[in-house]
Amino acid sequence: MLFNSVSFAIFLPIVFFLYWFVTNKNLKIQNALLLFASYFFYACWDWRFMFLLMFSTLLDFFTGLKMQDAQNLKEKKIWFWLSIIINLGFLGVFKYFNFFAASFAEAASSLGWEVSVVVIKVVLPVGISFYTFHGLSYVIDIYNQRIKAERNFVDYAVFVSFFPLLVAGPIERATHLLPQIKKERVFNYTKAVDGMRQILWGLFKKIIIADNCAEIANYIFNNSENLHGSTLVLGALFFAFQIYGDFSGYSDIALGTARLFGIELLKNFSFPYFSRDIAEFWRRWHISLSSWFKDYLYIPLGGSKGGNWMRIKNTFIIFIVSGFWHGANWTFIIWGFLNALFIMPSILLKTNRNNLNIVAMGKWLPSGKELLQMMLTFSLTVFAWIFFRAENVTHAFSYIAGIFSTSLFTVPDFSGFSGGLKAIAVAGFFVFVFLIIEWMGREEQYAIAKIGNGWSRIFRWSFYAFIVFCIGMFMQTEESPFIYFQF
Amino acid sequence: MRKFIGNSFLFAVFTVIVYLLLIAAYGVMPKKMYKNINYATGAYGHMFSRMSEVKQTKDVDILFLGSSHSYRGFNPQYFSGYKTFNLGSSAQTPIQTNLLLKRYLHQLNPKTIVYEVYPISLSIDGVESSSDIIANDKNDFLSAEMATKINHITTYNTLLYGFYRDMFSLNKSFMEPKKIGFDTYVPGGYVERTVSFYKPKNNSLQRAYHIQANQLKAFEENMVLIKRSGIQLILVQAPVPSTVYNSYSNNDYYDSLMNSFSVPYYNFNKLLALNDSLHFYDSSHLNQIGVKIFNEKLLEKLQ
Repeated sequence: MLFNSVSFAIFLPIVFFLYWFVTNKNLKIQNALLLFASYFFYACWDWRFMFLLMFSTLLDFFTGLKMQDAQNLKEKKIWFWLSIIINLGFLGVFKYFNFFAASFAEAASSLGWEVSVVVIKVVLPVGISFYTFHGLSYVIDIYNQRIKAERNFVDYAVFVSFFPLLVAGPIERATHLLPQIKKERVFNYTKAVDGMRQILWGLFKKIIIADNCAEIANYIFNNSENLHGSTLVLGALFFAFQIYGDFSGYSDIALGTARLFGIELLKNFSFPYFSRDIAEFWRRWHISLSSWFKDYLYIPLGGSKGGNWMRIKNTFIIFIVSGFWHGANWTFIIWGFLNALFIMPSILLKTNRNNLNIVAMGKWLPSGKELLQMMLTFSLTVFAWIFFRAENVTHAFSYIAGIFSTSLFTVPDFSGFSGGLKAIAVAGFFVFVFLIIEWMGREEQYAIAKIGNGWSRIFRWSFYAFIVFCIGMFMQTEESPFIYFQF
Repeated sequence: MRKFIGNSFLFAVFTVIVYLLLIAAYGVMPKKMYKNINYATGAYGHMFSRMSEVKQTKDVDILFLGSSHSYRGFNPQYFSGYKTFNLGSSAQTPIQTNLLLKRYLHQLNPKTIVYEVYPISLSIDGVESSSDIIANDKNDFLSAEMATKINHITTYNTLLYGFYRDMFSLNKSFMEPKKIGFDTYVPGGYVERTVSFYKPKNNSLQRAYHIQANQLKAFEENMVLIKRSGIQLILVQAPVPSTVYNSYSNNDYYDSLMNSFSVPYYNFNKLLALNDSLHFYDSSHLNQIGVKIFNEKLLEKLQ
């Protein structure tokens, strides 16, 4: 069940109604409803993998309790490592086994040894990287005595599998979400309206920006060997907006949906394409993952305490691991490596925390310097996205070689593109409008949070209705899943 | 909570009104500005003339149904002695045929139906043909039923715009020329194309028809509807160039599917030995020389 599907449009009001009108008198029943709805939501993809989700939930719930009740540190460590090994083991088997097997075979082959490797033919369980990280943060927090183990299984299971965040995040923390699940929720009109508004904006980002850009980016990346360098640049640009619209759109819908149920999720995006350096970009892009790696990998590795060498080493580690988290492909590892490389100057010069505020705060336009900084940061990000999008490393390098050729200075050629120039004009126009709206709303939680606040209701509603109209009139007609579902 | 539900409902109503107003504005906007509307009165293949004529036609001997192979493939001049009408339309799928049957079968009251069953028509979504019918025929509950069966945003938007145009009779003054480009409309629904010849290409691509479940269901409904009316029914697969026909790997499966309906079925790709460059004008349609051969053979079968 996709957020941008008719089935979700039916599912959500039903759960909302049952939640606030039928089960609202009893928190336990209300949470049980959320759990049932979340498992139903997940089972709509593949009910068989629901058992994996249940097993992972049970594992972390019981190991959490065992750690809490452990009589000594040794016993606590045993339960801790049991949970870590099994969690990462599942992730390793489902997500990385084939990659390691193939990489091993290739390495052996390059040394002249022919090795036949076993390959697992199984689809990646949707959301496995996300709910595994939920569980991991929970057991690590218990181990480090940041939180106490949860003794109510339903509450814990809702924390892991709450349907808005189940398949693509944000990656929540027990310290943030569990207290909300355990506390009685009271319906708040302002927050519910805000939630609806954020869902609408998320749908716009996904359906209009991401899907329309995807049509063009897919064509260009799939035919890159025959296209001019100038066209390839456009392909990378369209992909940059595709992935931003897709993933931040998903996050907006998730946050808005959760808000309808009186629950606040962690913010995942904060206008990353208006960043002035790469460090700022990573404070604004997939925030819940970046902060997860910071708290559970970077700091335990020593963070920046050991001087420059330690900072450099740990920065490379978290970026490469973060890349690998996205998928079992060398392209993601190189993407992570590149980002580490791009962030290095600010790490070495200790300027990585220079841009903590919002760009051009309180102003209409950025200064010339800020504009240049944003353009440079965006260019580096787009360059790295080429690796993220490419089928394999060879494809990425040939794509880049295609860009840096004499054909870079020719007119982009779309003669083989079935969507025609109209599709490019539509996508380009909406990206332009989108950037203006995002810029205007960059000081808020999401771009349209405050747009129209001072307007009369009819104008405000007309603005939202116009967004609905744009969705109906310019959506892609093929259903397209969210990119991050594959991770 | 009451305020939230109430305002959500009001906003939904408001949005529908704004949506409808903006759809109505399609009529005064450049046609290509709206992506998910496809409303063209007088669409390709003289659909407007055909749908205007059918409203004045009653009690025919033979009714032809199907895709462009139907309205470009059954020339009434070769069926002299019979009163015929051709309700074919471009890329017509069983879902549109179902609508046309429900709308016109009783009035046309045919003795025989020749249903042209192009395999592709069961393998596509039917959006193109639904837009054709919405823009060139009246719109009613059956149109809405067709739209829900297709379940495509373009069909929904086009239908909403169609309702709006019908409401204000905006197509009343539309006149479709009898001759458009190479095509001439012949009363009775046929479209005659100036003779030209296909230049066959080497077609080494192997492909297969992928029958859509909703189209097959609609086709089965059509079979039941026609059989229940006691009308003689003949299923016909019109010929296509042999290079095109042979590029499909599951022709035998399709024949067995059509034969399973217990009505006469003729696959003219097998019954006729046509020449790709002599008897066709493109990769799908017969030219007038091919039509003559095809129709004479069909007439033999009918008699």
